[in-house]
Amino acid sequence: MTRYVSILLTFARACLVRDMTFRANFVLECVTSLGWMAMNLAFYLLVFTFTPEIGLGTGWTKAPFFAFVATGMIINSIVQALFMPSAEELTEMVRTGGLDGILVQPLDAQFLVSMHRIDFSAFANGLVGVGLLAWAIPRLPQPPHPVAILLYPLLVVCGVAILYSLVIMLAAATIHLGRNQSLYDFWFYLTNFSRYPAEIYSGPWGGPLRALCTFVIPILLVVNVPARVIAQPLTGQAGMMVAGTVFAAAAALVISRWVFQSALSKYRSASS
Amino acid sequence: MHNSSQPRTNASSATGEPVIEVRGLAKEYRVFDKPEGLLASVTGLFNRKSRVVEALRGVNLQVEKGEFVAMLGPNGAGKTTFLKLLSGIITPTRGAATVLGSVPWERTDDFRRRFALVMGQRNQLWWDLPAAESFRLHKEIYRIDTPRFERTRDELVDLLDVRKLLLRPVRDLSLGERMKLELVAALLHEPEVLFLDEPTIGLDVVAQHSLHRFLAHVQAERQMTVILTTHYMKDVAALCKRLVVVTEGSILYDGSLEQIVDRFTSHKIVTLDLDAPPDPAAIDRLGFPCEIRGPQVILRIDRTRIADVLPGILRGQGVRDVSVEDVPLEEIVAEMFRSGSTAGTDGATGAPR
Repeated sequence: MTRYVSILLTFARACLVRDMTFRANFVLECVTSLGWMAMNLAFYLLVFTFTPEIGLGTGWTKAPFFAFVATGMIINSIVQALFMPSAEELTEMVRTGGLDGILVQPLDAQFLVSMHRIDFSAFANGLVGVGLLAWAIPRLPQPPHPVAILLYPLLVVCGVAILYSLVIMLAAATIHLGRNQSLYDFWFYLTNFSRYPAEIYSGPWGGPLRALCTFVIPILLVVNVPARVIAQPLTGQAGMMVAGTVFAAAAALVISRWVFQSALSKYRSASS
Repeated sequence: MHNSSQPRTNASSATGEPVIEVRGLAKEYRVFDKPEGLLASVTGLFNRKSRVVEALRGVNLQVEKGEFVAMLGPNGAGKTTFLKLLSGIITPTRGAATVLGSVPWERTDDFRRRFALVMGQRNQLWWDLPAAESFRLHKEIYRIDTPRFERTRDELVDLLDVRKLLLRPVRDLSLGERMKLELVAALLHEPEVLFLDEPTIGLDVVAQHSLHRFLAHVQAERQMTVILTTHYMKDVAALCKRLVVVTEGSILYDGSLEQIVDRFTSHKIVTLDLDAPPDPAAIDRLGFPCEIRGPQVILRIDRTRIADVLPGILRGQGVRDVSVEDVPLEEIVAEMFRSGSTAGTDGATGAPR
């Protein structure tokens, strides 16, 4: 384990050295990313000039909702920084045969494929998310329960694990297809569902969609559960949600591991 | 199934301990034919036609510790597929193989720590960073302790004279410089087996020569087992005593360089430099296949008759200089490729490698 941490730190160091080599690109990526976040936040502020709450009686008033948004930013920035660059590169590596070089190294291939590129500019959003959370927490209708404060980091990790599992399964599809340039698009469509409170999915269409995105592809658990635990009162339902999220994260990791290993066994390698 | 059955002569440095054992190794790919034209492309979305391509057809091979084996073959012969199988990158359709006692495609860390693969057409160093950064990463991945890492790195870097390149981003290096650093990276963990896939492709003569000297030195010093795939006879002649010729996924020849000449040619090339262009009729009367280039005459003479006929030729033609040589290896191998192609049974040309 310490070896993998040490290798991850070496990757991080090398990526930071590379990012610093292309400083203008690094700054531009941070600015673009932060600009996009600022537009989103402005949009939500605009929404709250028309309504005090997202869905009457849901508890998602302004401060809790911004805690929700902050949680989403933190989780997404971790995934975008640690896993997305490598997963996106896998598409190219499969097409060009670059994956060969990874498969001959005496390390877990999934670890190498998932984490050999780290995008430090993506952490910018996470830092904004932490700032936003720090702004929202004192403004919540009631302060978070001490248990909720303890559970929150665990649930953030679970959210990251669920998203990571989706990323790695989408990336594994590349090995079967030989080319999968829509990886990022598909990822964006999927994660779009996780960006809003689960309560908005109601009615004849929303209900089944909510069930699908909770029990089949547990994307609605990713942000909703940690955000609800920190921003809303802990109820009896919370225990079920936490247990469900931990289980979903563990199951997602196991399934994605199986999918990735099975894809690797079918790897054909590209002609040289 | 096409098996290698030729006798084999080991390199002098081989120890008799088998390091690589391959039995009936076969790899097939299903490829989809892309029809031409828009209508055919649309139809192909629903009804794709595929066929099976045999990249390797039941190859048998044994390589002993310390051998330096060259694998020669035309494009699509299956050389790279063979190395990918032995490296565990892909899994075979049939057959068995062990490298250093391990089944390669099980991809155990213990096995992967003991070999290295260098591909001339692939870059394994970090493109935007200096090679020194890739070496540092390599040290962590292969768990090389610091004193050993520094000693090995310095030794390899000095042998290839690339110290001044270590801090330059890899993308700014020439192909030859990059290949030297790829080799340093591959050898840092002191692998027992080295697979080289066309390492000299695209390199100039000086860089090729430099790599030859380096590889010969390191292989001899470390008693490393090496399989080299190449198109260049210069690589083979400079580095290997054992040659494996592959075409269409089958081994055509497995033996020593000397034996290939004896086995596949019955004549030698006698080149005469004359005082003046000869009379073609007089040369024809010698009774050997010949070629006349100004004052130079090239004769193909049966090797068993050279000693008998050469004195007579030298006496009668006003010869200033003479040389007697074996048929060039390129010519022999090209002929083998041609005859191997025509002997192919079901035409697996264009196999992915």
